[in-house]
Amino acid sequence: MEPANNIRDNELGIDDLRPRRLEKRTLMDRFMPRRRPFILFDPDRCTGCGTCETICATRNVGSIAPASASIRVIRNDARGRNLAVYCQHCRKPLCVEACPTRAMTRGEDGIVRIEKLFCTSCGLCTAACPEAAPLRDGRTSEIRKCDLCEGDPLCVRHCPNSALTYTKGKAFRWIKGVRWTVQLISFMLLVLVFLGTFCYFNAGSFGLACPTGALQNIFATGRVLLAGLTSLLAIFLLTVLLGRFFCGWICPFGFVLDLVDRIIPKKFGLPSFLKTRMAKYGILGGAAAGSAAFGFQVFCTVCPIGTLCRSYGQQAMFRGAEMAIVPLLAGLELTERRSWCRYFCPVGALLALFASLHLLKIVIGAKQCKKFSCIQCAEVCPMGIINADKLREGLSPEIPMTECIGCLRCLDRCPYGAAKIRFRWQKGVPGEVER
Amino acid sequence: MAGLDESLRRIGKEAGIDRCVECGRCTAVCPMAEMYVNFSIAMSPRGIIKKALTGESLAADRNLWYCTECNAGTDACPQQVSCRDLVRGLRRLALDAGKQEEMSVCPCCGERFLALPVEDFVLGRLREEPPNVKNWLKLCPACRREGYLRRNA
Repeated sequence: MEPANNIRDNELGIDDLRPRRLEKRTLMDRFMPRRRPFILFDPDRCTGCGTCETICATRNVGSIAPASASIRVIRNDARGRNLAVYCQHCRKPLCVEACPTRAMTRGEDGIVRIEKLFCTSCGLCTAACPEAAPLRDGRTSEIRKCDLCEGDPLCVRHCPNSALTYTKGKAFRWIKGVRWTVQLISFMLLVLVFLGTFCYFNAGSFGLACPTGALQNIFATGRVLLAGLTSLLAIFLLTVLLGRFFCGWICPFGFVLDLVDRIIPKKFGLPSFLKTRMAKYGILGGAAAGSAAFGFQVFCTVCPIGTLCRSYGQQAMFRGAEMAIVPLLAGLELTERRSWCRYFCPVGALLALFASLHLLKIVIGAKQCKKFSCIQCAEVCPMGIINADKLREGLSPEIPMTECIGCLRCLDRCPYGAAKIRFRWQKGVPGEVER
Repeated sequence: MAGLDESLRRIGKEAGIDRCVECGRCTAVCPMAEMYVNFSIAMSPRGIIKKALTGESLAADRNLWYCTECNAGTDACPQQVSCRDLVRGLRRLALDAGKQEEMSVCPCCGERFLALPVEDFVLGRLREEPPNVKNWLKLCPACRREGYLRRNA
């Protein structure tokens, strides 16, 4: 016996008579994305009264029969906690994939509906849904699923404790514009105006040096200069306050990488030993040791940030071979986003060491997060530190702030306001599940 | 064997297969035709009704386990034969006869909730999903909901 095959690559060449509709993404969607409506559930307010089930059934079948509802309250009497199971209207619904008769469709408005005409009540949508949200009617054995009452959900209107709320979500979407502007301005300033001055920046009596450069300097000369020490201290304080914001907002090479990332496709994988992200600390240690051995700043000669500032710029100091370093390392974007920053950058490594004392943290609250249905934060995170698997399981992922570059893309993108900035000592977002 | 025949006859009677006129409407609407490449008359509701009518033993037949137990054939039948009830009854018989391995077992509660070929179909459709999603889908629906309750509430 052959295993069940997928209809789309079926060897008979028979395809579905009804082609699936692909959602078109317009230019407008890119900048002002349509907000998808959804229902939020607050387990802290739910008393398990079942009014939502009753009212939903009156709409579905016209009688008081909670078994026919499209929402179900699961009660745990031992812990006194309740959970409403209802359709989350996923971005990429698994039920639509699994439905053998294509009765399940996701409309332009983002609402997933069952077309009654085609539905055979086989229940494969329930088998494919991570929350098992399509419910089988206990009386007629039909499959019932929330369609948001076409914009005015009765369950929300009648919930006595407002445990259910209907919302169109919130997303910042302006952080993106601010960040790109800041990145562009700092790129202009560091590379084109103050030539090569990221490494050593002087404005009157105020001086700041690259922390890794200063560290190498200390090792190379064996002497601690006050200027190097103060700039190390200043950057240390800033990083403790704001995290590795430098990497996400200021770094000119990071800006180049962000630009390159938009153009070139991801083609290759990286060896797995890099995934521990310890290599950059090794490079940092190597740079310090090399500086001590050779008596000059070893890493600075090949540093992409430094070479970017020195070789490309207003004065067009073309330095031949040095020009090659930036495109070479930008080529690493063929593997993963910001792979240089993730795995290799010793400047980032030193900032990461500072950032381990971070005051702020980013949390993604599993309660507000719609888990399986979204995962946009993990997709947009340039450092790849948001654990999509944990989100899919309905847990709040722990975000390592030493790796977070503070670009705030997750906050910007999350349609449900689940990604938030909190102080380190705060217990996270309300309803966060820590495990 | 007499006892098995008796129960087979009772299941057939409850499903109303003696009213079947072999019009084939159940097979025409059966979603299995779209789901499986090896869809055949032996797998179709018509073939299974025929075997049940002639008293052939279906307990060892793998074709019994492809059905999704949907409503389509029952709705389409002009004679009110319920192929779904027939398949359910036959599956119960087969499970009693020790064909336990044809159903997928929930690793959490141990309930048999989905026939293996049907689960293969669902996981085949979702084969691009990451493995942890597929493992999660191997739990029965009740356990999945219970899991969300434990984590989120």
